[in-house]
Order: sequence, then structure tokens, then C-alpha cells
Amino acid sequence: MADYIEPTYAEVNKDVLRAMMETGPKYWATLGTSITVAAVCFFIPWFYQLEVGVGAAGMNRSAVWGTYLSNFIFWIGLSHSGTLLSAVLHITNSSWRKAIYRSAEAMTLFSLITAALFVMVHLGRVWFVHWTIPVPNQMGLWPNFRSPLMFDVMAIATYLTASSIFIYMGSVPDFAAVRDASSGLRRKLYTIFSFGWRGTAREWHTLGWAYTFFAVLVIPLAVSVHSIVSWDFAMSLVPGLHHTVFAPYFVTGAIFSGTAGIVTVMFLLRKYMNFERYIREIHLVNLGKLLVLLSLIWTYINIMEVFTTWFSGSSYELEALEWRLTGFYAPMFWEMILFCAVVPLLILFKRIRTSWKSMLIISILINIGMISERFIIVATSQPRKFLPNAFGFYFPSIVEISITIGSFAVFTTLFLIFVKWVPAVSLYEVKETLKPLRRSS
Amino acid sequence: MSTNVMGIFQFEDEFIGALRRLKESGFDGLTAMSPIPLHEAEHILGFDKSPVRRFTLAGTLLGAAGGFALSVATALTFILPTSGRPIITIPPYLIISYEMAILFGVLFTLFGFHVVSGLPAWRDKIYRPVSNVDRFTLVVECADGENSKLAENIILESGAEEVSRVEGDR
Repeated sequence: MADYIEPTYAEVNKDVLRAMMETGPKYWATLGTSITVAAVCFFIPWFYQLEVGVGAAGMNRSAVWGTYLSNFIFWIGLSHSGTLLSAVLHITNSSWRKAIYRSAEAMTLFSLITAALFVMVHLGRVWFVHWTIPVPNQMGLWPNFRSPLMFDVMAIATYLTASSIFIYMGSVPDFAAVRDASSGLRRKLYTIFSFGWRGTAREWHTLGWAYTFFAVLVIPLAVSVHSIVSWDFAMSLVPGLHHTVFAPYFVTGAIFSGTAGIVTVMFLLRKYMNFERYIREIHLVNLGKLLVLLSLIWTYINIMEVFTTWFSGSSYELEALEWRLTGFYAPMFWEMILFCAVVPLLILFKRIRTSWKSMLIISILINIGMISERFIIVATSQPRKFLPNAFGFYFPSIVEISITIGSFAVFTTLFLIFVKWVPAVSLYEVKETLKPLRRSS
Repeated sequence: MSTNVMGIFQFEDEFIGALRRLKESGFDGLTAMSPIPLHEAEHILGFDKSPVRRFTLAGTLLGAAGGFALSVATALTFILPTSGRPIITIPPYLIISYEMAILFGVLFTLFGFHVVSGLPAWRDKIYRPVSNVDRFTLVVECADGENSKLAENIILESGAEEVSRVEGDR
């Protein structure tokens, strides 16, 4: 990168705040499209389902879980990129994280919101969602904390709260920069958002400590969230789900899918918000290396899952495995293997991992593979449990397919709104990576 | 009544030098503002281990105990016998305890951040927006005119590009 010219501190402020505060017609067109798709594909079908009942979905007597839950797992998984990666790289003092962590953390937040929406869609009678919250009610009803579903409620509520605080606290100094660069109502709003931040040594010192504690707390939290999601399945006795490897399998898959998601978002931010000077080849290469590592771990766990099923000798488990590898959804299984175990190996070639377009394609393929993985887990297990007379079949209905597509628009809408409210690249952390302002140097 | 002397620096090393000299000269009312965290400045001003950690510990312990208590209390309030298993089952309740420990740890850390940093502080304080862009600002509280003169000299000699006397809350 011999042609790279390091920006000055003032240029960092100018570039990042301009991307945030100046909005062109392309942005409005994208936002408008995204909102329309979200309304048409997500919310209208959901309201239709509320009107006619969950029968609008393809779920049936033996397949009581469907696409809504597989999408829930996918979006929870995608959320693991940001906060976890940001926290781990913060603790390990990896400076390359600094330009990309803000948007990665935003991904976490919006993926979690999208995932939470799927729980509500799946519930059917969404107006009873408050029954999962441990508050006194007129029925004297309390949640059963022995159920993994209640673990989920607690874990996801905690993760959403912690991720929101994590991203907000990291943004406080940047909100002050927005306040200083704006006027009128925006200035008033950002004065409130920034808490009156001045960048005093005491403020930096306290933020540094608090931020490190947030990071330390968030890492085990993120690991626990997807472990708990995996227990929703693994703690049932259903063949194909009742595996001890599920927790690490889900966590690895989540980080894998989330890291691929970061590459996709990085490409878009770089291209459409003109962050070429901040999101650079080093980020691509490092994330590429991480993807290869995660792909190898994920592949190993998949092999182990097949091996332990075969080794168990249980006829129910073997039948479930055979259906997964050779049944109706087998093409999807092998597509998943191709996209998540084989394609990422291309990143080993330098030409591939240094090419933005190749990495974009690979990152999208990985996430297609991960959606398939989540779907296969749900669709090939419950409808085929134990005795053949109880076997059923699950295929998503048009409402489910539409809501699945619409969820991407919901996520995109939230992200597009975010980039106009919060600097998508952390100003002060990027400045820290630049050459220090010293007369002696 | 005390007055404040403010110096604005272009370079970090000169700013740190001025801060160190002012501290050595006996000035205690020092406020250093910078666009990035400067650990050397924090060290000179005597910021060592932050009390935030006590808030985090307290929150985590309280959350862990609260999570466990919540699980036990709900089980006893709404008794749900399952296959003769005990009503109070430790392993699943530890998971709730774990999640609540983290939740309260985070919330208490947030609270601790506000308490220790003194934020929010929306009332007017001495501040120059350049110190959030690419300049390093130093504000010195001086007891009298003689002290102000001394502070101004130190700041100027250290390489400040601007020195002025300002009124307001430091």
C-alpha cells in the first residue's frame, strides 16, 4: 500500500462527519426501497398471519418449528460478529479493529433486533410476549426458569442491553465531535447524546476502564447467548438435535457468519460512504484469515457431528443423519458444505483475500451457507423424529419466505438509519492509529 | 477569586511537557483535554486504577445473587412439579444467575462511569471544540495574578500556540 496517504486528525473528523451529515439522493433512494421492501415483505405478511393465525406458515403437527426459528438462529448468529469481535480485539489490543468496530457493533445490535422480531412472528399471539418477563401479573403466573427458552429470554435481553450500552459508550466522544460540528436542533440533540463530553483526562481515563469492563463482560455473554440458543435444540431429545457438540457448533457458526457479515458491510461502507482511507486492505486480509480459521473449526465440528452420530449406533440418530445427507434437503446440506467449508479455503490465495470483490462474493456465499445450516437444523430434525408413523414434512409457505426476505430489508433499514445518526467509523480510535502529533517526530 | 489560564497546543509531546512542568511547579487545578486518550497525561494527573471497577464488581455480585434469588422465588411462587424432580434445581438457575450477573455488571459499570467521570455535565464549562479535533488544551486554575503569570510562562515556554485567561467552570 505504497500509495496510501495517512489522513490528518482534522481530515478524519471531516471525512467521517461528512459521510454522516451529507445525504445524497442515492441514500434516500436506498432507504426508501429498503423501507418499502420491509413493509411489503415483512410487516404486511406478518399482519396477515396475525389476522388469519399461524396456519399461514408452513408449520404443522410434527414440524412445529420452521423458518421463523431458523431465521432467529441466523440473525442471532450474525449478531455475534460485532460486539464479540470488537471486545476480543479490544482486549487483545489489536489496532486494526479500530476502523471497523463501530459498524460491526451496529450489525450486532440490528441483527439482534431482527432476531427478536422473529421470536414475535413465531409466537403467533405476540400480544402475550410479556408473559416471558418475570413480572407480577393478575394470574399469579411466573416463568419456568428450568426451560432453555427462558434462558434465551434472559440471555438475549442481557445481550441486547449490553450491546446497546457498549456501542453507545464507545460513541460518546464522537457524539461530542458531531455536536461541535453542527448547529440548531442537531447540536442540541448531540449535546444530550454526548453527556457534555469535553475529552478531559478524567473522562478518557474513566471511559477506558469502563469500556474494558464492558468488553470483558460482553465476551462470555456472547458465548453464552449462542450456547443457550443451541440448548433450545440440544436439550430436546430429538434425533439430530440432541448433541453435546451443539453449543460450540453454534458459537463457531455464529462468529463465522458474523465475520462474513462484517466483510459484506465493510465493502458497502467503503464503496458507498467513501471510507477507502479508513477501511483498508489490512482489514480485509485480517478478516480473511479469521474466516479461514473459523471455517476450519466449523468443518471440524461438522465432521465430528457426523462421526459421533455414526459412532453412537442409535438407529434414530442414524436415520436422521441419513435423511439429512441424502433426503429432500440434501442438496441444501451439500450447498452448505460447499459454501462454508470449501469456498472459504480460496481465501488462502493472496490474490483472493486482497480483492474486495472476491471477498464480498465469498462473504455472501458463507452467509447463504449459514442460512441453509440453520434451516437444515430445524427442517430435517423435528419432522423426522423416532417412529415412521410420526414422520412429517416441512416446507416454508409463501408467507414465511416473504418474511425471511423482508428481514434483510428490516436490517438494512435500521443500518441505513444508523449511519446517519452515529459516525460509522470511530473518530478517536482511528486517530489513535495515526502517527502521533509530536514535534519530536 | 481564582482565574483560569488556558493553553492550546498543536503537539502532544509539548502538551505533556507543559502538564508535567505545571504539576511540578505545584499547580493542582489542572484540566487536560485531548482528541484521543493520553495515558501519560492521566498518569501525570494521578489517575491510577479507576473506581469504576468497584461498581462493576458490586453489580456482578448483586446480579448473580439476584438472578439466583429470582429463579428460586418464581419456582416457589408458582410450583411446577416435573417428574418428581426438585422444585429448586441448581444447574438451570446458575444460568439465569450468570446472565443476570453480566446484566447488572454492565448496568453498574455504566452507572459507575457517570459517577466517576462526572458526566452528564451539560452546563457550560471551559471548552474549545478544537480539542476534540486536533489540538490539546490545558486549563490551569490559578489562585492569583502572580500564579497566572507563572502558568502562562510555563505554557508559552512549552510551545503552546495560544494562551489566554478564561473565566468559567473548569
